[in-house]
Order: sequence, then C-alpha cells, then structure tokens
Amino acid sequence: MTLEHDNAMMQTRRQFLGRTSAGIGSVALASLLNPRLFAGLVGFPNFAPKAKRVIYLFQSGAPSQFELLDHKPALAKAHGEVLGSEFFGGQRLTGMTSGQKEKKVCKSIYNFSRHGQSGTELSELLPHLGRVADELCVVRSMQTQAINHDPAITFFQTGFQQAGRPSMGAWASYGLGSESADLPAYVVMISHGSAKRDSQALYARLWGSGFLPSEHQGVKFRSSGDPVLYLSNPEGITAKRRRRILDLGQALNREHHERLGDPEILTRIRQAEMAYRMQTSVPELMDTSSEPEHIFDLYGANARKPGTYAANCLLARRLAERGVRFIQLYHRGWDQHGDLPRDLPLQCGDIDQPSAALIADLKQRGMLEETLIIWGGEFGRTVYAQGGLNMAKYGRDHHPRCFSMWLAGGGIRGGTMYGTTDDFSFNIVENPVHVYDLHATMLHCLGIDHEKLTFKFQGRHYRLTDVHGHVVRSIVA
Amino acid sequence: MLLLAGWLPAGSIVAWEVVLFNRDVRPILSDNCFECHGPDAAKRKADLRLDTGAPGQAIINAGKPDKSELFKRITHTDLEERMPPVDSGRVLALGDIKILRTWIEQGGKWEKHWAFIPPSRPAILPATNSAWPSGAIDRFVLAKMKRAGLQPSPRADKETLLRRVSFDLTGLPPIPREIDAFLADASPRAFEKVVDRLLASPRYGERMALDWLDAARYADSHGYSLDRRRVMWPWRDWVIRAFNDNMPFDRFALEQLAGDLLPDATIAQRVATGFNRNHSIQSEGGVINEEYRVETVVDRVETTTAVFLGLTFGCARCHDHKYDPISQREFYEFYALFNNVPETAHVGNADKLADKPFVKVPSVAQRKQMEWHRAKIAELEKKSEAEEQLKTARKALAALGQALPTAMIMGELSPARKTFVLSRGQYDQPSGVEVSAGLPAALGQWPAGAPRNRLGLAKWIVGGENPLTARVVVNRFWQMHFGTGIVKSSEDFGAQGEWPTHPALLDWLATEFIRGGWNRKAMHKLIVMSSTYQQVSRVSPGLLEVDPANRLFARGPRFRLPAEMIRDHALASSGLLVGRLGGESVRPYQPPGLWDDVVYENVPRFVQDHGGKLYRRSMYTYWKRSVPPPNMQAFDAPSREVCVLTRAKTNTPLAALVLMNDPTFVEASRKLAGRVLRDGGATEESRLTLLHRLVCGRRPTERELDLLSGALAEFQTSFRAEPEAARRLMAVGESPHDPVLDVVELAAYASLANAVLGTDEAITRN
Repeated sequence: MTLEHDNAMMQTRRQFLGRTSAGIGSVALASLLNPRLFAGLVGFPNFAPKAKRVIYLFQSGAPSQFELLDHKPALAKAHGEVLGSEFFGGQRLTGMTSGQKEKKVCKSIYNFSRHGQSGTELSELLPHLGRVADELCVVRSMQTQAINHDPAITFFQTGFQQAGRPSMGAWASYGLGSESADLPAYVVMISHGSAKRDSQALYARLWGSGFLPSEHQGVKFRSSGDPVLYLSNPEGITAKRRRRILDLGQALNREHHERLGDPEILTRIRQAEMAYRMQTSVPELMDTSSEPEHIFDLYGANARKPGTYAANCLLARRLAERGVRFIQLYHRGWDQHGDLPRDLPLQCGDIDQPSAALIADLKQRGMLEETLIIWGGEFGRTVYAQGGLNMAKYGRDHHPRCFSMWLAGGGIRGGTMYGTTDDFSFNIVENPVHVYDLHATMLHCLGIDHEKLTFKFQGRHYRLTDVHGHVVRSIVA
Repeated sequence: MLLLAGWLPAGSIVAWEVVLFNRDVRPILSDNCFECHGPDAAKRKADLRLDTGAPGQAIINAGKPDKSELFKRITHTDLEERMPPVDSGRVLALGDIKILRTWIEQGGKWEKHWAFIPPSRPAILPATNSAWPSGAIDRFVLAKMKRAGLQPSPRADKETLLRRVSFDLTGLPPIPREIDAFLADASPRAFEKVVDRLLASPRYGERMALDWLDAARYADSHGYSLDRRRVMWPWRDWVIRAFNDNMPFDRFALEQLAGDLLPDATIAQRVATGFNRNHSIQSEGGVINEEYRVETVVDRVETTTAVFLGLTFGCARCHDHKYDPISQREFYEFYALFNNVPETAHVGNADKLADKPFVKVPSVAQRKQMEWHRAKIAELEKKSEAEEQLKTARKALAALGQALPTAMIMGELSPARKTFVLSRGQYDQPSGVEVSAGLPAALGQWPAGAPRNRLGLAKWIVGGENPLTARVVVNRFWQMHFGTGIVKSSEDFGAQGEWPTHPALLDWLATEFIRGGWNRKAMHKLIVMSSTYQQVSRVSPGLLEVDPANRLFARGPRFRLPAEMIRDHALASSGLLVGRLGGESVRPYQPPGLWDDVVYENVPRFVQDHGGKLYRRSMYTYWKRSVPPPNMQAFDAPSREVCVLTRAKTNTPLAALVLMNDPTFVEASRKLAGRVLRDGGATEESRLTLLHRLVCGRRPTERELDLLSGALAEFQTSFRAEPEAARRLMAVGESPHDPVLDVVELAAYASLANAVLGTDEAITRN
C-alpha cells in the first residue's frame, strides 16, 4: 500500500500547494508566484511523449464507414441481396431493425479514389481530406461493445457504458496537468451538424471528471453568450470596477488568511486571479478577427460563423497554440438511419475542409508533430439498409463490430491504412482495434503507460482502459 | 516523525512498535496480494489465500521472518521468485516490508477484517485534562492527540461557532438577531440552546436531506438518452419530513428499503421506497430493455450496499470480489432481493413519465378537492336532470387525477422472477446457476423468522447485529461536521478502505447510536456539543506540518461550503430567500442555450421560472442529469447519475467566476446593498458593519472596516460619474430595486457586497 493515496506521491501540484503546503515554506511561495496552474502527477509522462496534446474531433451519431472510409466494391454485386439470419451469427441488432423483415445489402452511392503518395482510399465526399491523405492513418477495424448511442458514446469517452467514470480528457488533465497559465487543461466545443435529422443528445458526463477531482472536468467553450460560463462581468461592472472589487476581496482574503493560516485561502486568491485573467484571455482566444484571410480561406467560409465546426477547428488550433492539453470537439448530426443521400453530404460538407485545414494549419506551424488528432464516431453502421432499399432515401442502422476512424499528427504513422474488414464490413478480418486499444494508443502518444494512469476509488485502482487495452504499435510512428 | 506513529496510515516509513494486523498488515496484503491470493477463487494462484489466515498455510513461521516463506518471497533477490511479481505493477515499499517483518516477529496472526467484527462498546477513557472537558468524544480525541504530542486548540469565538453550527445543522447562516441573542446569553447552556433551536428548525431536514439526495442519486430527469422530466420530488419531500420528524434511522432505512412490504403500507411508506427507483432510466429507441433492467438492479445493489454497509459489492458482479469476502454467487443472492420489481426499465418520449410501479401522491389540498368532487358527483348522480353538471364534475375530477404527482416506487412481482448468476455480469449470459435471496456469509446470518425479501434485508441492515450499518452512518455524521470521516473512505469499509483514525471513538459512537434508538438529532447534538467540534480552526504552520488534513482534530474543522449552501447563503443574506418547504422542483436563472447545446432535438428546452421560484433553496433546483445546474457544478455538486457519498471540495477559477458574475450572486449583491442601506443605520460604519455581519456572521475588524470604507469611496466616485452604469447594474435579476434608495449608493454597496460574498470566509464554514 502506498502512502495515503492522495498525498504527496499522487497529488497534483495544485492540490499539493493548496492543501498541504505550509510546511513547504519557500517552495510553496515560489510556486505561488509562478502562475502555472497545475502540473500533472509525479512521474508523468512515463516516457518521452510523441504528442503534447490531443485534438479529438468526435462525430456524434456515428458516421457510416461505407460511404466515407471503408471502400467495399464487392457490395455493388451483392446490392439488394437479402441477408439471412445465419449471416448475423448472433450479432445483436438494435430495436430499430431487429424486427425488420428483409435486410437487404446496400452499396455506397459514393465513389472512392486513392490519394497522395500513400494511395489512401477515401470517399468523394471527403475531397479536402484527400489532399492531406499522407498525414492520415485510417483505421478501418475499430470495434466497440455498445450498440446504442448513449452507452456507446459514454463508453468511448469514459471507457465504461454507464455513468460515473472520468472522461479521457479528464484522465489526461489528471495525469499531465495543464501547460496553460490562464486556460483550462481540457476544453470542449460543440457544433450542430447540417443534417436535417434529429441529433442525438450529449451529456455532461462525456467530459465529466467522474471520481477524479472535479477540476479535471472539461470546460465547455461556447459560441453564443459567454464563451465560458459566467465569464463576463454584469452590466455596469467594467473591467476597472471588476479589478477594484477583486482587490477588495483579495485584501479581505489575505486578512482572513493571516487570522486562520489555512493555505486553502491562498489557493482561493490564486484561483480568483486566474478567473480575472480568463476574462481577458478567453475573449482574446475566441476572437479570430485577427486571423489573416488565407487562414479563413483554408478553413472555409464557415470559420467566420461562430459555433460551426469550422470555427471550432480554428479555435482548436488557437487553443493548441496556448497549451491546452485536451481539446475536444463534438459535431452532431451523424445518425443516418434514413435520408443518408440527403444528409451525409451536408455533414461531410461541415467537416471535410475544416478538418483538413486543421491538419495543414498545424503542419505549417510545426505543431502537427506534437498534436494528436483523432476523428470518428461512437460505432459503425450496418451493411443493410434500414427500411427499404430506396437509393434516394436509404439509411443504415447501428453496427458495433467494425467501423472506421482516422488519426493524424503526433506519434501517428501518416499515410497508412490499418485493419481490414470483410466484404460486408460486418466483421474484422485483420488487426482489430478496440476502443480500449485506441485509448491505450492515445495515452501512449502522450507519453503515458495506460496501465499506470490509475486512481483508487472505492477500493479499486481504476484506469481508463479498465483491465484491457493494447497500444497499436503498427500505427505509432 | 516517530511521534506520528500512532496515526499515520500503514505503509509509512515508520518503525512500528506494535504492529496490528488490521491496521497495518491487511492494507498491505490487500493492495498488493489479494488480487491473486484473495477472496476471488477463480483467480487464486498457488491455492494460497492471504485475506484469511487459513490454518495449515505454512508460509508463516511465527517469530521467525527469515524462516517464513512469505517473507522470503517478498524479499527474494531473484526477480522471478519475488512477490508481488514484477509484471503486476505492484511494488512493496521498504516500510511495507518492515511492517510485515515486525508482524511475523510478533507472531504473524491473522484477524478478521475489523469492520466485519461487530463494534463492542469501548470503555470511556478517564478525563486527563481538566481544562479541556468534557464528553466521551473529547476523551477519545484527546488521548490520540496527546500520543502525537499535540494539544487541543481553544474554543472558537461565539460568532464563528454560531455560524459553523448554523450551517452544519440547517445549511443557512445565522441572522443578526440570532447572533445578538447568542452573544448576549452568558448562561452555560447558551450554546446548547442554539443547538436545540437549530435541530428543531424545519431547515434541519432540508440540510440533512442534501447529503441523502447525493447518496440516493436523486434527480428530476431520467438520465439516459432523452433525459426527460420525472417526478420523484414526493420522495425528496418524504426524506425532508423524515429528518424533521427525527424518524429513527432504523425506521428511515426500513421504509426506504421495504416500505411497500410493510403490512398495510401507507402511500408515504411506498413513496419512501423511491430510494431505489431514483436510478437513471433509459429512453433510447433501439435499446434492449433487459440490458438496462439488469443495470438498474446492479445499481440498486451498489447503492444500497455503499450507503448502508460501506461496501463495494459491484466488484463481485463479474467475478468473486478481489478484496472482500463476497463471492460472485453471493452478489447474485443479494441481487435477487432487488431483481423482482415489475418494471420496464424504459420510458418513452414525453414529460413526467414514470416507469411502473408508481403511485399517485395527492397533496392534502388535492385530496380534499377530490373528495369534494366525488361527493358532488355522488349527489348529482341521484338527480336525473343534472346530466350536464355531472359531466363537468367528472371531467374536473379526472383532470385533478391527471395532475397528481406520480412517484416511482418499489414493488414485487408474483410469482417471483428467477435469478441466475450472470456470466461475466452480462445480462444475456445467465449461467445455469439459479440462486435465491441471501446475504454474504462473511457479513452475517439472515435474521431468524424474517422473510427472504427486502423487508428481511432491511431488518438485518438495521438489526443491530450487523457490524457495519451503525459505524458507516455515524462515520458520515462525523464527515458532515469535520469534513472527513473517522474512516476517510466513507464509501468503503472493506479491506481496501482506510483504517479509522480513531477506532474506539467510531465504535463508541456506533454503539451509542444504537443504544439511543438510532436517534440522529441526538447524535448530531452529541457531536456539536463536543469540545473537539468547538475548537477554533486557526492552524499554525507547525500544526499544519504535523497534521495537514486535521485527522487528529487538534483544531476546529474548516472547509468550503457545499454548492447548495453557497447559493443559499447569498439568497439568505440578501433577504431574497423564499423559505417554502418542498414541492415541485424549480428552474432559477441559468445561462441561455445550455440545454440546446446537447439535448435531443425534439425534447423541450429549459424554461426559466419567475417570481419566488427564483429564490427557493438550491436543493429544489431542477436537476437534469445530462446538464446539471452549472453554478452548482462549479462547486462540485454531482450529476446525480450514481451514488455519491463524498463530494470533492475543489478550488477553481470557474467557481470564482460564478461568485463574480452569476446573476444569482449579482442580484444577491444588489439586494444586500438595499438591505444594508435600509436597515444599516445612518452611518457608513454601521452600514458596513451590517453588511459584514450578514455575510460573515461577525463584526468586521478595524482593518476590514478600513478596507471596505476605502473601496466604498472609490465605488461611490466611480458610479457618480456614470449613474447609467449604476442603473444597469441594478437591473440584473428580476427582483425590483427599492426606488427610494439612491441608485449610485446602491451600486457602490452592491460592488462591496459582490466582493464580500465572494471571499473565502463567506463560502467557508470557519
């Protein structure tokens, strides 16, 4: 047994200073003057990291692999065939199509072509990504456990289908701390897709801290109203008045500290100062008006519209520049049970150019190699059409056994395609990558041994990958 | 460092004089060895069990560590032979090895895990310090303190003490009249009178319910997927009332676990069982209900065992527990008790849906109205010409029935659902092993004559024979008043939990609780009347170094208030608080668009309430699990998706922003300014004094007055130059400002109030 779990060995610097510092004397004082907010755990990263940060582009609703990343030419021939129950081999189906009488094989109506020197195969719906194909590692053999949105997205974000565990960004913040003096370590931004169908819900637990200290939870940056909740001063309170109010409060706090000696009061003083700094740093971050024209050309016209995926990609780059550890975008609207031909091009139109721009932009700044980018949804979609086989309106149900994602940047071998599925993208033929494996690989790129990043709660040493997970060495540079 | 030997947790690099198995040895074995040599039979290696000292295990040669296989293996120079194995990731610290060595030298005897041995009433130690009285608690605490070479701190001043105990017992600050009365009361019973007054206040029930709502994962929405509105507040109100009536804890537990199974169960007793229906419920279209029904039953087992027994049963869902003596089979025997609810585990897409079973809960007024209508209908039915009237009356009665709150409750299927051990805990993989309801053998025997259902379970839980319940509950009382429990891991009293800092005190409190008839008010009174509780919370650098977390209680407890109290404090001190007890949850201010960001598109959005509903106590705020109230989340309020028994107390810039800019706090600041200008007398000093007393519960010092006065002058000048800004500030929030008062003065005082409400002192019980 280690020392009391959350004491010196395992404490974040901030807690360390805040709760147990007085005996440390001059060290504590020096650190107080240094505004670095929190460093990570002692001994982390465990080895030289490939990436300093993650930009995770979550595509909520689950994009179809058939139309985007997993080319299945054999389906042209099988198109319209009815799949018998023996085909499914006991695979669980959702309640939406388990009762559907005829499950007919459905080809993609979109063409694929090869891009870059690597010849990475991508759909015609992703032309911009085609131009950065040599940076991409397309994983076509992802698999997950869950088949419905809520459990699946919760599983992806926390490694567990039910609520209560910390999200991956919270784990990263806990392990590695922040590199930013005036921004949180974990930032979340949400955009609505252009698809005309209902978007699946998101939940605070997806970026929550679970049983980790709550300062590690993701902070939502918003496109309307305050970019960070409660950031703006109320009507009538100018920045100058705010400063004076704060000065009074801090003077009273110092009096109080002198009387009681509790170092927590000093931490409170520091946090209020950071809040004040955020009142300047966050609007400055969110204000992209100083970005040059060619940057907007790169990300596309939508980058000027706050709240779009394009604008969020540009902000992601700005957050990365400022040392934010884990930047997570959610783009909603990918749940194409029907009307895929209408909605999928709209969704791809949202994400194609900005995602490619983010890669190119980071690259031209020399930051791509230190930034891991991950793009993907919570599961895949079925080879059979949901409902009838009307090629003007077809859609696909949920499929957990295989789906596709792509990664790029820090620590990832670009210009590769990894994993193979069968002709129906129903089963993985080669090199399966479980969600746990993705988690392990992501942490590996950050210099973390996923088996070492643990937190003792209710008597158990929990980790993001539970008792699973293997680093996918073949995709790591 | 040796001074600390009596209380530092195991594993510290301290040469123990006497090693206790449960305190010092078990934690090392549990954390490092039990995974392969513990209760889990399937994973057990070399048929060696280190959680129990099975006779015939020739690995200990009593008194001779160097001839003991256990010691040889943990110190083996060959890494292939060394335990724990290199690839386990576990490494024994030098201190751990020393402890194991000493333990073997002293005989190497196993003991049953301390928490599974029923508490016996320890003798109260004789008083040793005539200057520091008084009761049993203080004697236990003082003995330990002395062993560490520490002295108790003096009693806190009356103002601090009053504020501390007011928050602890009612969640609200004292008002100036109460402060004056206490200051003026020189009788030796002055503090006791205060405590009795607070315990009798209806606010007591609200404050105590707060922690219970976390434990019971109470919320106003279903949680999963669509996360739409549910109606469980009748259960919440039952809890508040039970606290206020000082319902004994054994009854409180019994009715919540099995109220529906009591003979002639009342509506209230059935509503009480909502404790185990507060879990999240699915609403996603494609899910398989059975999967979530199983999750629900598991949730009930986890919540019930954590709350009442301080154990982590959930670990045994998929395999035998790694650390505690709970086999997978025993998990499902316990699970069988909760597996018999006639539920769907799914609700549709509409507001206020309840999954069965549920009960309609009329208020007194509603019941009267319905009786009146029924009587009217009966009367009209006798007349032949009243056809139209009868129709109207029937309609009205039906409408009343529709409007009744519908709370989910527990119930039992007949015939009972069969329970099987689920392979790897999977809902769709029942093994061939059918089990019936039962208790893990290590915890005790099913009470003789009690039915094999939740009622029997409840009787066992509060039967007094069970080693855990009373300890677990009094430990949480202690945690409430001292910030940390005597057992720090208040949710885990198992092998992986922490050793109590004061085992004898814990057992004394536990036995006292049972002896006194599970009387919670009496226990709270006992604790707050202790000298230990009443110490000043000032900490010297020396004491901070020796005992940073105040585990020895040589100073008063000091910690930040829970989220709800921080908001309630602002509402109360500004005079905005609306003190109505209970009822449907309310929707006070929250930043626009929060729900739009995340909710499924065809479900309703947040609609803010107005008027008095903006100023209800925070525990009545509508709790949507996927989007919890953000101003309380910033202060560590949980999402209520799972049982929480200890909240974090973080200190972040996001929390600072809430205090600065949340309209709730800005409005409170300006209302506080109005109050001060109206009631604070004519002089600046009297006004500043009132402001400070309202927020901090004490008069300001000279220095503080100077700081306030200096800032006031600047704000007056600043707003005089820009009265428009003052008017805009006064328009924040929906309550009107007093038009008689000068808007510049109001804005200047509001700025001060904003500063003071945001200080560390304001949001801390000192």
